[in-house]
Order: sequence, then C-alpha cells, then structure tokens
Amino acid sequence: MSSLVGRSVGSLKNVPIKPIMSANPTEARRRVLTLYKQWYRAVPKIITTFKLPYTKERLQNRIREEFLKNSHIRDVRAIDMLVIKGEMDLQETLLKWKQECHMKELFQHETAIRQPTDFLGKFFSQK
Amino acid sequence: MFLVRSCTRLARSRASYCAQSHLLKDGTKLNSFSKSDYSSDVTPPTDQIPAVRASSSIVRQKLLEFGDYVAECLPKYVQQVQLTYTNELEVMIDPEYIIPVITFLRDNTLCQFTNLSDLTAVDVPTRPCRFEIVYNFLSIPYNQRIRVKTYTNELTALDSICEVHPGANWYEREVWDMYGVFFRNHPDLRRILTDYGFDGHPFRKDFPLTGYYEIRFDDEQQRIVRDPVELAQEFRKFDLSSPWEVFPNYRQTPELPSPPEVSSEEEKK
Repeated sequence: MSSLVGRSVGSLKNVPIKPIMSANPTEARRRVLTLYKQWYRAVPKIITTFKLPYTKERLQNRIREEFLKNSHIRDVRAIDMLVIKGEMDLQETLLKWKQECHMKELFQHETAIRQPTDFLGKFFSQK
Repeated sequence: MFLVRSCTRLARSRASYCAQSHLLKDGTKLNSFSKSDYSSDVTPPTDQIPAVRASSSIVRQKLLEFGDYVAECLPKYVQQVQLTYTNELEVMIDPEYIIPVITFLRDNTLCQFTNLSDLTAVDVPTRPCRFEIVYNFLSIPYNQRIRVKTYTNELTALDSICEVHPGANWYEREVWDMYGVFFRNHPDLRRILTDYGFDGHPFRKDFPLTGYYEIRFDDEQQRIVRDPVELAQEFRKFDLSSPWEVFPNYRQTPELPSPPEVSSEEEKK
C-alpha cells in the first residue's frame, strides 16, 4: 500500500470533489472493516498456500500493523483509494498471483542488511 | 436526453453536410469533414492526375470547421477546441462527461472515430488537477485523427471508456498502474506492468528516480529480498570542463577596447 495516497488534496477552486465509493466517513469505515475481516479470515489460507514459516497470530498482527499505519487518514476519498488498493492486494494474494517472496516482503525487516550506525562502520561499509 | 438533443442538431446540420457523403461514391479520396469539395481549392484527382495532399491552410481550415461542429453539438461538455502547431485537432472536455463525448465521436456519421489509437496521461504537479488524460482516436472512413483531453487528480475517479472502446481496457490499467488514476466501472482494473507488492506509481513526477526499494537475491534466504534504497553519497553536480587548456592555439582572447584617442588638437588646447 502506497504511503503517498494519504496526502489529502486541499480545498482548491475548480477541482471537482466527488466521492470515489463512500459518501461519508461511516461508509468508508465500514468498507475498511470489511476489508480487514477479509484479510483476517484469509490468514490460514495464506499461510498454507505460501508455506510461510510464521504463526497465524504473527501474520494477523502484521496485517493489523499495515492497517494501523494509515489510521491517521481522515479524507474519505483517500480511505477509499487505500481500500481499493487493499482489495487488489488481497486478490493478488488469494489467487496466488504473488509468490512466496512477495509475501515474505511483509517481514522484510528480518532480512534487511543491518546498516552500521557508527562513524567507522559507515566508513568501512561504503561502496 | 443528451443523445436525443444531439440527434436533432444532427438532423438540422445534416442537410449542409450531405454534399460530403456523395464524394465517397466517386471513389475519390475524401479529404476532410467540411462540405466544400475539391473544385474550389484543389484540382480533383483523375486517372491521369494522382491525388495530392491538400495544402496545410486548407486542412487547417477544415479541421477548425469540424472542431466548431463538435463544440456546437456538445456545448455543455466541450470546454475548448484547439489546433496544435502541426494541425492536430484537440478537444478539451469536462471529466464528468467522458462517455457521452466519446460515444458521440464514435457513433456520429460525420465523425466515426471508431479506433482508439492511444490513451495515456500526463503529470503536471503544479496544476490544480495534476493529471491530464489524453485520448487519441482515428476515424478510418475519413482518415482523420482527433485528440480528446481531460483532467483529474489523485483522488478523483474517472469513468472508464471500456464499454465504448473495449480496447481501452489495458490502456486504462496502464494509466492506473503508472499514474494511480482510478477508473470507475472498469471490468478488470489491476496492475499490469509493475511487480506484485510494488509501492507507488512510477510515472508520477514525485516518484524518486531511484525508486523506493532495491531488489537483490539473498543466498541465505534463497529468495529475492527488497531493501530500501540507500545511496552511498548524495547527488553531485559534476563540473566536466577541464581545468587545463586543451587547444591553446585556438584560444580566444577577447580584444580589449582601445582607449579613446585624444586628438592632437585637443592636446594643443
């Protein structure tokens, strides 16, 4: 899910403001919850199809993190856009268009190369 | 309701445009949309004389007439009609009414733009509506092209024209993938060029040139992993001109202006 979507477009003149799907925040919230439930229920299937070495709770927590990452967004249209992207993501996952490596990217911080933070470490590791 | 209204307009204007359709029966090449035939402007092609291209001023005039005709038929939807420097007709329309305009251009007897040759977008972040969506159409019976332009921003959905032109399906998927413009009522809107799990829309101007992630194969994990892009140094501006003089023989020394000569008479005074 892109982080750029959350940026709200201010009130501009001559710019049409029309809802994408939801007419009000309540409706948008309902869509988000529906999507979250779909992801939540799909967790056991995802683990078996992608042979993920993680427990059910671990993946559920990770999915919740992804949702909470965008919890600050209040613009209804931005929420709709994120829901649309999340639905596409779920489709790619459930129909197994994604491969294992794409699913494991959710846990990519485990495989990331640790960048040295001290001065000499940075100096030695530079390319 | 719109169609009915445009039909009545058509019926009214048909009488004046009827002369044009007869040209087709002669087997001659129909040049443009306007009613004026070859006799006044150009020598008509015969068996001995091959058909030649009309001069650009004539083409320009005919395209302008046709643009005015479209704008008169769809006064509410067409915001501006313009001709580019290279004589390409451009019609700027309201994003609300893409489908009626394109249906008109496809189904009207005098337009028949049945072929969607291209659909793409342009990103200009400084505008209030940063994306410009461009449709290019080809009318095969008249051998004419038209460009329809409209606008949108990141959070405004456009109507998909897949029902009018089924060929727009993949073009719209591409625009969605590259620019993030959402098309309403598209039959199968999903990514087409980027990898699964790809973040962002690469053709937007605010997408970094280096991307967000770099991909490598990890031997320990035995799979592809993504790392955030980290550059060893910041972007540098290189001064590529050499500090040494390479061709001293061709050195150009600016000639200093000679000091104004004081005339001898003034000196005497």
